[in-house]
Amino acid sequence: MPWPLYLALKQLFPSGRRLPFFTIISIMGVGLGVALMLVSTSVMGGFGHQIKTMIIDTQGEVQIRGRSPMEATAAVESAIAGVPAVAASSPYAQGVVMLEYGHRPAFPVIQGFDLARIRQVIPLNRYMTAGSLDDLDDDSVILSSLLAGSLGVNVGDKLDLYTPLMLERMKRNEVLLPREVRVAGIFRIGHQQLDSSTVLCSLRLMQDLYGLRQMVHGYNVRLKPGADPDAAVAALNRVLPPVARALTWFEANADFQAVLSFERNMIFFLLTFIVVVAAFSITSSLLVTVVRKTREIGLLGAMGGRARSVAACFCFQGLFIGVGGTVAGLGLGFLLLHYRNAAVHFIASFTMGQDVFEKFYQFSNLPAYTETKDVVIIVVFSVIASTLAGLIPAWRAAKLKPVEALRSE
Amino acid sequence: MSNPATVLRASGLRKNYPSGDRVLEVLSGVDLTVAAGESVSIRGESGSGKSTLLNILAGLDRPDAGELFWADEAAHQLSLGDLTARRGRFLGMVFQSYYLIPELDAFANVLMGARVIGGVGAAERARTAALLKRVGLAERGHHLPSQLSGGERQRVAVARALMNRPHVILADEPTGNLDERTGDSIVELLLGVCAEEKAALVLVTHNPAHAKKTARQLLLRDGRFAATL
Ligand SMILES: Nc1ncnc2c1ncn2[C@@H]1O[C@H](COP(=O)(O)OP(=O)(O)OP(=O)(O)O)[C@@H](O)[C@H]1O
Ligand SMILES: [Mg+2]
Repeated sequence: MPWPLYLALKQLFPSGRRLPFFTIISIMGVGLGVALMLVSTSVMGGFGHQIKTMIIDTQGEVQIRGRSPMEATAAVESAIAGVPAVAASSPYAQGVVMLEYGHRPAFPVIQGFDLARIRQVIPLNRYMTAGSLDDLDDDSVILSSLLAGSLGVNVGDKLDLYTPLMLERMKRNEVLLPREVRVAGIFRIGHQQLDSSTVLCSLRLMQDLYGLRQMVHGYNVRLKPGADPDAAVAALNRVLPPVARALTWFEANADFQAVLSFERNMIFFLLTFIVVVAAFSITSSLLVTVVRKTREIGLLGAMGGRARSVAACFCFQGLFIGVGGTVAGLGLGFLLLHYRNAAVHFIASFTMGQDVFEKFYQFSNLPAYTETKDVVIIVVFSVIASTLAGLIPAWRAAKLKPVEALRSE
Repeated sequence: MSNPATVLRASGLRKNYPSGDRVLEVLSGVDLTVAAGESVSIRGESGSGKSTLLNILAGLDRPDAGELFWADEAAHQLSLGDLTARRGRFLGMVFQSYYLIPELDAFANVLMGARVIGGVGAAERARTAALLKRVGLAERGHHLPSQLSGGERQRVAVARALMNRPHVILADEPTGNLDERTGDSIVELLLGVCAEEKAALVLVTHNPAHAKKTARQLLLRDGRFAATL
């Protein structure tokens, strides 16, 4: 073992003595930074993952959108089914309607699905909280939970639906009466945006409401397990007529995803400063060490140790603190992630109570999803920052002339 | 060239330090020849330049003028870096304040002498054990410097200086921090081991009794060696 490496190890972990304070504090500093970065990116990643699941569960992995309403011809259908990665597809049409219950109005987004095929694409059953998907027919709708709650509607109640088609007819002095529909069920996805204001109905009802005749707005597509969405989209776009375009779930929600990833990167960026601060504290402690050990550094020169080896000794100390801190931080981070729900519930029970907490944050369990890529970035970053922290002290040590070092008091 | 039996030869060494707007002339033409295995003592008042001379002999500092030979090698023509690379094998140093590395036990401190200039193997470990035994610390190898007395620490430092079988030991007031009896024993030890190891010894000391024990005694005064004691 080269002596700078040996001496660096011995100075951090002297044999037969307690760990020096410097070692413990430095490793803890880096470790805390690493643990926080790991926990926060994992939790952010968990939310992202949860949202991805919700989006895929409500839209399919791939969406085909018509630039304008498109004819759901057998040619289009067989083109979609002909792509090997496609497991199932289901046409949809969507728009905005006015809903009235009692004298309370609402303006939800309405989506019409082909009732015979939708189940193969979207596991809606999983999200039903009242009623049943099986009861849905051409004279009924399913409401999202928050919408149903705000209107005070229950399964079996009757609502009036008004559509933009009525305005058009009115211009031609025709009157189209609102459509009375029955509430067949209520669903809850578990995400504010998706739960707030959505109505589901049959494709035929939607086509009636919007005067679409046999046309649809697009298709939701489910891929075979393990299929690559990007490749599937490329394959679909080769066979689809020019009026339609396929998008992955990610592209279809690009704005939303951009906000999510911006938040994630921002938090990551801010937390890197914890490690930077820890690195600065390593620098200052090592600088103190250089001053304290001036005469030993002179002695190493007197014994034939080169200046660059002396410098290497301090760089190694930074590196070891970085590696030790990173390992400790990953350990602590994964431990925290493992017990995250207990921790959250514990804190919540102290500060606001469990029910208040769930009401405000819309989740009862903290999700976590750790990406290998993030772990690699955290490890590389913290080790590099700690090693750099040793550079200034190393440079100071290398600059010391042995004669002057030995003479210093 | 120099006689092969000459291990250290300096001629016309000069060293000035700037002091305000004047210069402080510390060494003004020092000549010194040390034969292999010879012991030499250097005395002189405080501030007479003994440490300055020793550092120049050790290649830690450069003279303003003069020549220095380490055996056959013209040390005054080498850079400080090259001197450092050769120093570990050519000479060993002992200081007043021991300068042991506090994180290493006695054994590791001695072995450090070998580590700094190369690898350590079974041979180096065996030599370390033998040296510790020779300086009377066979049982104390696992003790840290903080667990040793001043005299014991200096013994460890002596063993460390001898680790790489140097041609010369340069000792700068090695007894300065020790009581008289301990100091005597350290000087005895230095003389004894150097003789056994066939290393020359240059001993800087204030103690006339210690000086007398060396084969040759020199007095540094006014920047050069005085003709008589
Ligand atoms: N780097 C320096 N800059 C300026 N003056 C110096 C420097 N190093 C040594 N001196 C001066 O050189 C003179 C000789 O110093 P040196 O340490 O060699 O004396 P010494 O004989 O070893 O004294 P002592 O017996 O007290 O150890 C002193 O006057 C000292 O102040
Ligand atoms: Mg001195």
